[in-house]
Amino acid sequence: MNDKVIVVGAGLIGTSTAYYLAKSGAHVTLIDAKDIASGTSGACDRAIMIQSKKPGPTLDLAIKSAEIYQDLEKELEVHLEYRKSGGMIIIETAEEMKAMEGMVERQQKAGIDVKLISGEEARVREPALSKNIIGSTWWENDAEVNPLKVSFAFANAARRLGAKVRLGAPVTRLLTENNRVTGVEVRGEMLYADAVVVAMGVWTPMLLKPLGVDVPIIPRLGQILVSERLPPFLHTGILSAAYIASKLNGDPDDETADPYGVGLAIGQTHSGSLLIGGSRQFVGYNNTETNPEVTRKIGETAVRTFPQLANVRIIRAFTGLRPYTPDGMPILGPVDGMDGIYIAAGHEGDGVALAPISGELMAQAVLGEEPEIDIQAFSMSRFKR
Amino acid sequence: MNDMIICRCEGVFLSEILGAIEDGADSVPGVKKRVRVGMGYCQGRVCQPIVRDILGGRVGTGKNPVLQRAQPPVRPVRLGEIVR
Repeated sequence: MNDKVIVVGAGLIGTSTAYYLAKSGAHVTLIDAKDIASGTSGACDRAIMIQSKKPGPTLDLAIKSAEIYQDLEKELEVHLEYRKSGGMIIIETAEEMKAMEGMVERQQKAGIDVKLISGEEARVREPALSKNIIGSTWWENDAEVNPLKVSFAFANAARRLGAKVRLGAPVTRLLTENNRVTGVEVRGEMLYADAVVVAMGVWTPMLLKPLGVDVPIIPRLGQILVSERLPPFLHTGILSAAYIASKLNGDPDDETADPYGVGLAIGQTHSGSLLIGGSRQFVGYNNTETNPEVTRKIGETAVRTFPQLANVRIIRAFTGLRPYTPDGMPILGPVDGMDGIYIAAGHEGDGVALAPISGELMAQAVLGEEPEIDIQAFSMSRFKR
Repeated sequence: MNDMIICRCEGVFLSEILGAIEDGADSVPGVKKRVRVGMGYCQGRVCQPIVRDILGGRVGTGKNPVLQRAQPPVRPVRLGEIVR
């Protein structure tokens, strides 16, 4: 395999794609304007939540990706803080209970045996949960991982396999010849390749626009609070039903929705800090300051759910831009009517969970192998209809 | 032993910071994401200027290294105070 492939973007998806390409023998150059995990992948939480995925093709991807994660530390020879922690979606109201009953039924049909458990059972698993929680889902196969470690491990493993990694190297445009992308320009320097994979997350549309390709990715801001280090406090990854509602009902034009899209997503890192999220807001590319009102709202839902958290100190708040797509599914595959160009982006909040499978599928697509999962459902052309 | 602790909150040694720079980090966030410097209780208030100076001496781009983004809260604060 002598294909020369350029991967633009060194976040979770780009580093994963570079690794699987290098593993298959391609000559890979991984390029990033700044650094590895310097965008969304370095400003997110750590959940590999499978039960929260949209039933359908995305859930199928997530199941396959979770399998890869189980052996990834061994494969990359790096400790990734991977842990099969199990996951819960907690329920506060009868209305949420009804919605979650429907979701659980769909997930069970899709082949994952998520269960609904009572409030008492939920508190056995997480004793710090409030008495007002009336129920929860539970799935033992949800997991967690450190996305920074995953990004660096993929990039370093790709390097060991011969990939070149160029950081601080902004790609200013795609080079084209007739209907073919032939490479990229980096600060006046032309780099040529047989194929270019754009894995620039929220910034993907900017590189494709000059070719007349409109990629419908919109930046969606998420805010997360970080606590001081604590002794083990949480055992599982936890989302609230309100978080799921906000995740699955994203519509930039819906003015009746909570403008901050606040729902609880909480977990404890390997170091002992809690990551307490989150919010979902469409505020463009440049308004990425943390918002005290959002901090307060996230805090309220956290303290309501875990009353002891009122006594925990917050040391930082941060935001990240998530690459939203209109149907909540990532874009994976070639661009119709143009050769030598592929997109792997638009994972919104599913990038951590879907990184390994996305990279593996992209490597197969670029190298002309039959992808192990049909990626037609994730193609750019679905948006034309 | 020639090594020394630069970030006390996270227990990060000078050798680890130099390793991160060797690995390609050219900014404070770049070092932070590789070895956790400045991620702890003081949020880099103590170590950031030192890491910046180490970077300035090593990377040698002539530019000042990019610093960590200052984020609230200004000092650790109980969540109960935030929601009150």
